[in-house]
Amino acid sequence: MIKKLQKRSWAEPYKMKMVELLKQTTRGQRSRAIKAAGYNTFLLKSEDVYIDLLTDSGTNAMSDRQWSALMLGDEAYAGSNSYYKLEKAVQKFYGYKYLVPTHQGRGAENILSRILIRKGDVVPGNMYFTTTRLHQELAGGTFEDIIIDEAHDPTNEFPFKGNVDLEKLTRLIKKHGAKKIPYVSIATNVNMAGGQPISMKNLKELRKFTKQHGIRIIHDMTRVAENAYFIQQREKGYEKKSVKDIVKEICSLTDGATMSAKKDALVNIGGFMATNEWDVFEEARNLVVIYEGLHTYGGLAGRDMEAIAVGIEESLNDRHQQARIGQVEYLGQQLESYGIPIVKPIGGHGVFVDAKAFLPHLTQDEFPAQTLAAELYIESGVRTMERGMVSAGRKPNGENYYPKLELVRFTIPRRVYTQAHMDVVAESAAAVFARRNKIRGLKVVYEPKYLRFFQARFERK
Amino acid sequence: MKRTLAEPFKIKMVEPLRVTTESHRQQALQTAGYNPFLLNSDDVFIDLLTDSGTGAMSERQWAGMMQGDESYAGARSWKHLETVVKQLTGMDYILPTHQGRAAERILYGILGGKGKVFLSNTHFDTTRANIEFTGASAFDLMPDQALDLELELPFKGNIDLKKLEEAITHHRPENVAAVIMTVTNNSAGGQPVSMENIRAVRTICNNHNLMLVLDGCRIAENSYFIKQREAGYSDKTYEAIAREMLGLCDAFVMSAKKDGMVNMGGLLCLRDDKLGRECTNLLIISEGFTTYGGLSGRDMEAMAIGLTEVFDPDYLHYRIRSTAYLGEHLRKKGIPVVWPIGGHAVYVDAKKLYNQIPVHQYPGQMLVCDLYTKGGIRCVEVGSVMFGKYDENKKLIPAAHELVRLAIPRRVYTQSHIDYTIETFDDILELRHQPRGLRIVYEPPMLRHFTARFERL
Repeated sequence: MIKKLQKRSWAEPYKMKMVELLKQTTRGQRSRAIKAAGYNTFLLKSEDVYIDLLTDSGTNAMSDRQWSALMLGDEAYAGSNSYYKLEKAVQKFYGYKYLVPTHQGRGAENILSRILIRKGDVVPGNMYFTTTRLHQELAGGTFEDIIIDEAHDPTNEFPFKGNVDLEKLTRLIKKHGAKKIPYVSIATNVNMAGGQPISMKNLKELRKFTKQHGIRIIHDMTRVAENAYFIQQREKGYEKKSVKDIVKEICSLTDGATMSAKKDALVNIGGFMATNEWDVFEEARNLVVIYEGLHTYGGLAGRDMEAIAVGIEESLNDRHQQARIGQVEYLGQQLESYGIPIVKPIGGHGVFVDAKAFLPHLTQDEFPAQTLAAELYIESGVRTMERGMVSAGRKPNGENYYPKLELVRFTIPRRVYTQAHMDVVAESAAAVFARRNKIRGLKVVYEPKYLRFFQARFERK
Repeated sequence: MKRTLAEPFKIKMVEPLRVTTESHRQQALQTAGYNPFLLNSDDVFIDLLTDSGTGAMSERQWAGMMQGDESYAGARSWKHLETVVKQLTGMDYILPTHQGRAAERILYGILGGKGKVFLSNTHFDTTRANIEFTGASAFDLMPDQALDLELELPFKGNIDLKKLEEAITHHRPENVAAVIMTVTNNSAGGQPVSMENIRAVRTICNNHNLMLVLDGCRIAENSYFIKQREAGYSDKTYEAIAREMLGLCDAFVMSAKKDGMVNMGGLLCLRDDKLGRECTNLLIISEGFTTYGGLSGRDMEAMAIGLTEVFDPDYLHYRIRSTAYLGEHLRKKGIPVVWPIGGHAVYVDAKKLYNQIPVHQYPGQMLVCDLYTKGGIRCVEVGSVMFGKYDENKKLIPAAHELVRLAIPRRVYTQSHIDYTIETFDDILELRHQPRGLRIVYEPPMLRHFTARFERL
């Protein structure tokens, strides 16, 4: 029978120029490897992993243009030419005035938190992120979640689940006073909600509101281009605008930013802090010397600043984002076709599987998401990440946070895997789904003080 | 017959340099507030600002870069680096950091705090800043002889053992956070430390139950001097000597941008379990996960290879001799230099050279500016700009010396570049009687030498 043409597939707007060989392992090898890793996918050796969906952070494939820029890196300790290129790119594409490079995103979060937060301050934000919240707490602040309730419901298909609930912010201001709120922290896209975008309309309303109260907006802009692509696809009035223009508009509604360039900007290492305020910049320049490096390299090799500058421009290409988000969507649809419960709508940088619905026979104390990630690895060598109770960690008083969402994140590195790799991933998840009733939970045997998800060790119950 | 020592490598990739005019440089320097740290690197001809992260990597390191495994967790490149460093240090906890100061910040952040003291042969500028930032104090315990810049001693970087004992008694052992041995001793002119000295420090630390940290960013260069100058080491390999130094210490911090032969990277290595775990937690918060610590996979790969290349006898001989070449020729010209010549840099005594310029007008900074204007050469002041303090009346408490450091990047400049640098000092000699220097018009509260701005008087 002749197949009728139904829809045109997207294809990657690039071809492969360099490849990295992968190793296949047996099920027996993988069972031993995950046990040795304490059932924590973070502790696996990368050579035991077949398809690595642990994170999209720093795992990107760079373009030939980035590799050539890498060769042009100016490694002078002070006043490196590569710094000025990066500064120019940040000013041109994001519109922020002042730039302080850092070795990666958490370096920028550390410096910014120390400058802006005083002891007893409250920092509202559209959902927590692990390292961001920790730096806010270490600087003496308390994080308060002001994301809309829809974000906590994995089945709700609201198109902008990264939006802020202004009612929640109003209540916080009433309770603490605007003076206790140094800034509102806005992430684009919201990672912990499943890679969900904030709408331009919501951001504009927030901007108007915070202006009245004299509160800054600080932009966690790690995946801003992906957020811009969703605005282009879903928000009225933006259909005809380019990702590039939308990104600039988003940034213009904020006062400063922290960036992990390891995501959107298509590099393996790097980050920065940007601000429009001279005073903040001056303080950051002094602090960065202590923590990161002189302000014209901030702990980055010259070549890495070159690669970021090129990567920023590449990330704003409409067709790049179409292929990027198209691939994530493809994996999500495949998983759904097998009946696997996923967070809807499908996010920008990964597919988030609802582990509570996947393993309904496990209680949250048995770590369903951690369990599922381990099982997926044993099944086929696919490495994913827990984003649930283990990641949420403990409150300053030592009690466990019990997050509403118990998710396993299938994060897609940019420009690395093919559609066939995605098919393999979906098929192995389906195989685990078929035997889900037999899966037992986990218990903790070691837990570090901070950010426990990185190093905690487990045993089968 | 004289035999020229040629480089034990040839050039595989080049980076073009821009030649500028004196008037262009005058303009650029003024824009940079007479602080070469604020110059654009494009305006610099020969960059002797630092040997940190400015080296040329080998083809093997570049090939390693291409094989960098960028996996977030458990990368092959990390395993490679860990294996090499474990073999070198014999320590159990190997923590990668984005550079040396991050390793220092993590370790000294845990060991330090108000009321604690650190004792060292000499703390480097970022080390001191990291320590003082925690509220602790840092004391340099150089022998008095070492303050004589021209006295020829084989191990002028040593710590004064008597002063160390006295300091421990004075501050009481329970307040001493750690003893830090910096090899080679950068702030003292890149001078080496002897094995005998480290061994004696170890004994003192044992007697008082103190921790001994090796700050070893130039550990291979120090090994070279031990082999050449200390009895009983002429038959040992440089690597074995380094391992012996490390064996005497409890912890190792390293900026790999020096003897690691890379452009970015650092290490923190520890023996103690409890401290190892605490440092690991801080590493994750501030640097990155334990298997990358804020470095790309390719940088770890390059470091693993660099740490083996640096112990090559031909390389080390070339490295130390080529630094000495610059120093010996300057001395022949009548330029007062710190003697003997150290491993990575030549230090000029600016107080003596520019003896008309009062110390509070920063003769070192003035020499740095003149070298740039005359030759497009960039170097750094190691004197009262870097280490000066103010008393309660805001009057400058000057540093002990006003030095200018000409640091030689590894495997970057040819002998012709160095000859050009030597010749530029002919112009400097004509300026030696100038009476006025500079004054500071802007300075930040910490590490002011990086961003301070000056005006000519």
